[in-house]
Amino acid sequence: MKHLTELARSLCELRGISGDEARVREFIAGELQGGSAQLSMKTDPLGNLIVVKPGQAPGKKIVLFAHMDEVGLIVSYLTDGGLLKFHPIGIDPLVLHGRRVRVGEGGVPGVIGAKVWHHLDSSERDAALKSEGLAIDIGAATREEAAAVVSPGDAVTFDEPFCEFGEGMLLSRALDNRLGCVLLMRLLLSDCPWELTGVFTTGEESGLSGATAAAYATEPEISVILETTTAGDVDGAPADKVVCALGHGPVVSFADKGTLYDRGLFSLAFDTAKRLEIPVQTKEGVYGGNEARAVSRAGAGSRTLALSVPCRYLHSGSTVAALRDLENAERLLLALIGPLAAL
Amino acid sequence: MLNDLEILCVAPGVSGDEGGAAEAAEFLLSPLGEVTRTPLGSVLCRMKPARAGLPHVMLTAHLDSIGMMVTQITDKGFVKAAPCGGLDRRSLSGARVTVHATGEGRETLPGVILATPPHLSDGKSIPPKADRLVVDIGMGAEAARRKLNYGDRITLDGPLTPLLGDRVAAASLDDRAGCAAVIGAAKLLRESAAAEISVALVSQEEVGSAGAATAAYALAPDFAFAVDVSFGSTPDDRPEDCAEIGKGPMIGFAPILDRTLSRRLTETAQKHGIPYQTEIIGSRTGTDADFIAVSRGGVRTGLLSIPLRFMHTAGEIAALCDLEQTARLLAKTIEEGLS
Repeated sequence: MKHLTELARSLCELRGISGDEARVREFIAGELQGGSAQLSMKTDPLGNLIVVKPGQAPGKKIVLFAHMDEVGLIVSYLTDGGLLKFHPIGIDPLVLHGRRVRVGEGGVPGVIGAKVWHHLDSSERDAALKSEGLAIDIGAATREEAAAVVSPGDAVTFDEPFCEFGEGMLLSRALDNRLGCVLLMRLLLSDCPWELTGVFTTGEESGLSGATAAAYATEPEISVILETTTAGDVDGAPADKVVCALGHGPVVSFADKGTLYDRGLFSLAFDTAKRLEIPVQTKEGVYGGNEARAVSRAGAGSRTLALSVPCRYLHSGSTVAALRDLENAERLLLALIGPLAAL
Repeated sequence: MLNDLEILCVAPGVSGDEGGAAEAAEFLLSPLGEVTRTPLGSVLCRMKPARAGLPHVMLTAHLDSIGMMVTQITDKGFVKAAPCGGLDRRSLSGARVTVHATGEGRETLPGVILATPPHLSDGKSIPPKADRLVVDIGMGAEAARRKLNYGDRITLDGPLTPLLGDRVAAASLDDRAGCAAVIGAAKLLRESAAAEISVALVSQEEVGSAGAATAAYALAPDFAFAVDVSFGSTPDDRPEDCAEIGKGPMIGFAPILDRTLSRRLTETAQKHGIPYQTEIIGSRTGTDADFIAVSRGGVRTGLLSIPLRFMHTAGEIAALCDLEQTARLLAKTIEEGLS
């Protein structure tokens, strides 16, 4: 099996915004197929990859979810002057201006830009950015030149390399949620003796569509969401707004804006971590949300746990995570399967 | 031209610490003449052959680029930074940067400018204030304080990337594009007997033109031509204050610029079929020309600007043909004689 960082790098370098996850899915399917002959796999109508890992040990039906899609943009219109207008998918316009991007299947390079700084008055300089004021420049001088290489509907991703930096940190545009995919892939390739269903989902950033359908179809008794979550441990953040911090272990949530998590599973995760001396933390505050919102209420409902890697600057081209949090998330996940199956 | 531009753009050279860019400039200029460095870090090249009695012409562009410098390392290892030059602050949240560290190991360290999470900004996507620029270099205070020094410069990551046609994107086209055009003109004038020519690629334009002022003093030219970048149009901008990318250099007309030279540039462009646009400025030009013109007893100065989009971001865009035409127009204008 590939080293955690190498697998994260391979996954993060694939381009796959919501609705355009095929490259990520094909990579995951290929790696799983090459790694184990035991796994059965299928792709559902929404593009989710549903993987069943057989197991002999009896227990509850556990389904784990990790979304494959990343935030990005979608081209909406080509202007007369050859610029590309766009809609953001899951991205705050604050992190767009000046960024390099890749457009469409061919990965045409471009730059997101706005009216020049020097021609703004002081109120404009400190105003909130709006995506309407931004456009992608691919170097085309006319609509026809642009239309020869890109089209409305094309997916746009940040063009920023994956890198390891600082003291054991990872930096990429797509840690959300290729880190969840890393955890799920390695679990499915582990020698864990319980039957597991792993779903690599689509459309999380655009409204949880993949998870909604896959949770219905897979009928979990126990659902585990493998995710990334916002860490507020940045300079200037008041202590009560840090929420969670890099280097303090994986994050197990008791509540977020979408879900009130199962109390028993929350305690089980903390107890297991404590017993094995794995660092773990929770989100100190009710913020954000993930696929648990859709999964926990699908069909007849399922008891749901969210295990996340804390990340700074989520939903930008430069998300930062600590490698040791990913390592500890994997340790905790492996340790939790037995107790979850035994519930 | 693209080759020279690449050599210039890959070199770091934030205002006040232009050493990397100066080395690149020296490499490109040394075949053309005698190269020296001024006390403020500008690179001067007196071209051969120089003959007595000819007008002395200074061709200049600025070496420095916008960026930041380290002012403080917090107890959690975050790097506080101050701007060097007028950064477009809207482009900074989440931007990748490189810290050119001069402490232990003298490393180039990757970093990210903080993007405030929505729960800390009440959901408002407001650009950071100039006194609130913070870089995350992913390490604790102890390591950061060992590796970094106060004043270490920070560049915006923006490699030179070819776009469609002959357009390119890069972080420091302001004003490495001008440097490449000036070097291009100097190459065309290599055998010229029309003038004594000096090239000055100068420091510190973005923070007040100290490099140009001192270089002009040192060279004491009769005429000067500054090449900088100016505003390439975007759909929501004022067309009267912009030019089209790819449609030729902008010939500057401004009170401080020599009107005869501005006209001479226009006539030469027309005569040789060189595409050009005009840039009409009612006040100071905001370029090194303002400082060169008042050097010593005064220097007759012209200004050419290369149209550039998204100035002062990591994704500045220009067309290579505009660089080529700038070099041609400068060379033809000088070749035909200044007096």
